[in-house]
Amino acid sequence: MEIREYLNKYGIIGVISDYEISLDQNGLVKDLNIKNRDKAFKMVNLDKDILDKEIKDISLDNLFKLDLLTKIDKEVIIVGNLSKCLNKKEMDYLKKLFLKLVNEYHKKIVIIDNDVKVFFDVVKVVLVLKDKQIVYETDNFYDNELYKYCKMPKIVEFIKYINRDTKRLEEVTDIYELIKDIYRSVS
Amino acid sequence: METDVTIISVNISKNILNNYKDYQVIENNFVISNLLKYPKIIFFNALNKLESEEIKELYNILKNNNIKYINVTNNIEEVLLTSNLIVYMDDKEVVSGDTLEVLKNEKLLKRIGLSLPFMVELSMYLQDYNLVDKIYLDKNELEGVLWK
Repeated sequence: MEIREYLNKYGIIGVISDYEISLDQNGLVKDLNIKNRDKAFKMVNLDKDILDKEIKDISLDNLFKLDLLTKIDKEVIIVGNLSKCLNKKEMDYLKKLFLKLVNEYHKKIVIIDNDVKVFFDVVKVVLVLKDKQIVYETDNFYDNELYKYCKMPKIVEFIKYINRDTKRLEEVTDIYELIKDIYRSVS
Repeated sequence: METDVTIISVNISKNILNNYKDYQVIENNFVISNLLKYPKIIFFNALNKLESEEIKELYNILKNNNIKYINVTNNIEEVLLTSNLIVYMDDKEVVSGDTLEVLKNEKLLKRIGLSLPFMVELSMYLQDYNLVDKIYLDKNELEGVLWK
């Protein structure tokens, strides 16, 4: 399948690849072409205080949000480097926003990152791209083959380790589920 | 300033680097041998593609060459690789000190938007269930305690 077909099928896809924010970092934030700016800033929790700042001086998380807002009108939104730019709280918030954009506004979203944890809860299929070609695809975060191309999240590493000889724990991606499962397993 | 420090941040910008003007800033790809000429290095989100073992190896090389280093990162897992931790929010220091002691401020860290490293968070929840009595950073050790 081509990437477009995956997007049509799933709405959001995860891509393991390198990505750099493409936003031109010259100039002021207020000069960026962002439609309905007040509403857009509110949607991503951006403070209007940054409007008069130079783009090169703003924080990585705000840079990520501005990069997203410059693309928000496109049918296919490509974002990347969440793991490098965002803390946990912001990542969780933006994941919910991505789901809303897909479910309510019929957008297609490509999330590019090297950290699979970023894809938890939002992505149903992960593609590995090399030289713009799909070299691997999986819908399983516990697929060993996937980790030939990227770092294994700590929760996956831990459960795989505990299950190495005997299956004691379910293959979950949520720490609360894991705690409950450990409790059941050791009680 | 301590020899090995991680700075974890919320809303951090490059302005923070002004506080460390005597440190050589490393932002992207680097060659280890080129780092050895600097007495002090600050990595600004430059280690996020490396595995923990690779970062540990890098730190060992820097230590062996008496080089002080600071790692500015958004990856909470990287904080366990240095003895000292500084938490910044909006370019201002919130809390600092021995890494594990700082991480015990779980409520503060979560309130400002940070998570805890996986093994620390797991241990803390298991403590709540009275399944363990301390923080385990080693999964082999934790396994031994849980499934003894």
